[in-house]
Amino acid sequence: MSRFRIPVGFAVLACAVAVAPFLVSNYHTYQLAFVGLYLVALVGLDILTGFTGQISLGHGAFMGIGAYTTTILVVDHGWRDLWTIPLAGVVAGVIGLAFGLPATRFAGPYLALATFAIPLSFIGIVKRFPSFTGGNVGKNLPQLHSEFGWHVNPSIWFYVVCWVVALVMFPVAYLIVRGRFGRALRAVRDSEIAATANGVSTAAVKTAAFGISAFYCGIAGSLYAIGITYVNPDTFPIDLSILLLVGIVLGGAGSLYGMVFGALFVEFIRISWGPGILDLVSKAHHLDTHAPGSGLVVYGVVLLLVLYIAPAGAAGLVRQLLAIVSRLRSKKDTSLSDPSLV
Amino acid sequence: MRKTFLLVAAAIAVSAAIVVTAGAAPSATPGVTAKTILLEGTFPLSGPASGYAPIPAGMGAYFSYVNAQGGVNGRKITWHFEDDGYNPANTVQLTHKFVEQDHAFALVGGLGTEPQTAVRQYLNDNKVPQLFVSTGATTFDRDFATYPWTLGWQPDYEAEGSIYGKYVVKNLASAKLGVLYQNDDYGNDYLRGLKAGLGAAHQSMIISAQAYDLSATTPPSVQVAKLKASGADTFVIFATPTPTIQAYVIATKLGWKPAHVITNSVSATDPFLTIAEKSGSDIVEGSISINYLLDPSNPVYNKQPGMKLYRQIMAKYDPKGNANDPLNLYGVAKAWTTVQVLKAAGKNLTRAGLMKAARSMAYTKGKKNANPFSLPGVSVFTKGNFQYPISQVTVIQYANHVFQPLGSLINGRGALR
Repeated sequence: MSRFRIPVGFAVLACAVAVAPFLVSNYHTYQLAFVGLYLVALVGLDILTGFTGQISLGHGAFMGIGAYTTTILVVDHGWRDLWTIPLAGVVAGVIGLAFGLPATRFAGPYLALATFAIPLSFIGIVKRFPSFTGGNVGKNLPQLHSEFGWHVNPSIWFYVVCWVVALVMFPVAYLIVRGRFGRALRAVRDSEIAATANGVSTAAVKTAAFGISAFYCGIAGSLYAIGITYVNPDTFPIDLSILLLVGIVLGGAGSLYGMVFGALFVEFIRISWGPGILDLVSKAHHLDTHAPGSGLVVYGVVLLLVLYIAPAGAAGLVRQLLAIVSRLRSKKDTSLSDPSLV
Repeated sequence: MRKTFLLVAAAIAVSAAIVVTAGAAPSATPGVTAKTILLEGTFPLSGPASGYAPIPAGMGAYFSYVNAQGGVNGRKITWHFEDDGYNPANTVQLTHKFVEQDHAFALVGGLGTEPQTAVRQYLNDNKVPQLFVSTGATTFDRDFATYPWTLGWQPDYEAEGSIYGKYVVKNLASAKLGVLYQNDDYGNDYLRGLKAGLGAAHQSMIISAQAYDLSATTPPSVQVAKLKASGADTFVIFATPTPTIQAYVIATKLGWKPAHVITNSVSATDPFLTIAEKSGSDIVEGSISINYLLDPSNPVYNKQPGMKLYRQIMAKYDPKGNANDPLNLYGVAKAWTTVQVLKAAGKNLTRAGLMKAARSMAYTKGKKNANPFSLPGVSVFTKGNFQYPISQVTVIQYANHVFQPLGSLINGRGALR
């Protein structure tokens, strides 16, 4: 059965993706498109953090690099936005590799600190060269519109673009973490000394993981720019990098399917769930939930609750539930054929 | 097999029904019913710009007051605002929600130059009014031909800069100006305005202008040192609140005592200047800025009928809010303008009708329908090619934690009447 779990899971995901826009409004379709692009970013970051064990507090900046690549090509050079998506991934990936080379000499919290410099310097660089990047004022991209002679609501078009990309990138990630290379990633995560002893070049593996994750985030960032139709440094705040990491942890680091939950969280906590919970609280207790910062409180409480209930993230919770179900089932079986009775 | 086929067919039928019903567009004006009008907006309630949070609260207080009086043409206003954290990506998603999900009649007061720039094209494409944005970037007023559904409200930064120029020429004729400005549209709008206000004959009064980067992680020390070294005796600060406070403190630490300090209105509120003073700056007292609204932190205005009404509204509809915070009054004054154009748009309310009303506002002193919450004599006026709703201000000076007005109103946009 477990042999089929991956393809069956993927088929279920693909079906859900195909049906969803028919069941929800155009606005929610627009939001679900962002879930798709966040899924790409989280899957990429998961390869680095979940599978290789390297914490990054800077991957929002790789989304930014992808977004700016697309924006500059589309706005200043007249490229068609779709064609810039792979290029945005390549640019971010190359920069990720370049950063990975020195950064992988750091371990643990030191690496996290080093990666923290990426979004800081990214914002600085964008503001430093306004004639190239648009500076603080930013750049407007063309509004969303369906292409290839297909007349459909722009939100649905964007949804299709994001999820086609996500459903390609997702199995690619699976192939990356599955084989020999994937074993090397996990070996580095579990014990660098043991990995080195077994002939794994930890520096090369970590650098490659950095490049791959940056490539994924660059793709996601490109889609982000297309969907938001605007970029400026405020669009890629340091929070975004942290939010991505939170998404990984809540989804379940080291699980690819968990990233679907992570992506749902990243998209909906800020725009929908946070304010929704606040409205409920204000109705129940007549509290002033429009007070500055109350949204962050909800975010923090949700985060703590999830970590308390499911420390291994959504994927861990699902695994736990499956384990309970199979234990109950096996209990039934053993009661029928209790070895002590034999 | 047959069962599966039936199930699939049923699922398709249900989906098709959903799609068809979802596609049926409402024929009436979105956000308007016989009894309600839905207005929405995005504001930073969290993050570094959350200091602006009183604005939507003040707007809400005034709308509640109007609703209690019977509303606008028999309709009550529903005011709904959400937190974008000053991140344009959030602004875009929330604005899609307002337009496509909530079907807001109009978006009012949306805060921030960049967040509002991010949604301007979208709103214009969808012909949704983007009214009275809470930013002084000149583009929201000037570019009305390109963006017919967008309009600002407060005096634009260029106009404000020009007022400082005129003030200097008139009152500080021998001043040597040292300008610190932010290296983006915001700072450049101000600097361009200052030069225009000085006029061609007095450009040489600016003996040094130093740009600083908002992205710089260090305070603008080098720039302030250069201004000091230039021999300037009047320090002009065109900066956002944090660099402004830093600039005050750095000047003092460098031992620079400019005879005059001019600070743009964005940063010139008592809370910010108090921080600068407490951080050791001794050049805060006497700072010059501009204002166009009644100032609730100055008791001098307490006898004005507008101030009395403002305090009543705040006490009744936003009792937890700090009525002495000028940002609450800003919100109330903006909501007042909104209600006026809703009234002017008439009983048969449409988005186009609302924009038509907003493009020809004449709330001026002579007509006795001026904004009661602005300084006496300040007009809210738009007509034809003149789309700068508020352009009259008065110069103010900081003394003992209160800004006192100096002299009469000045017009930042010469073309007004």
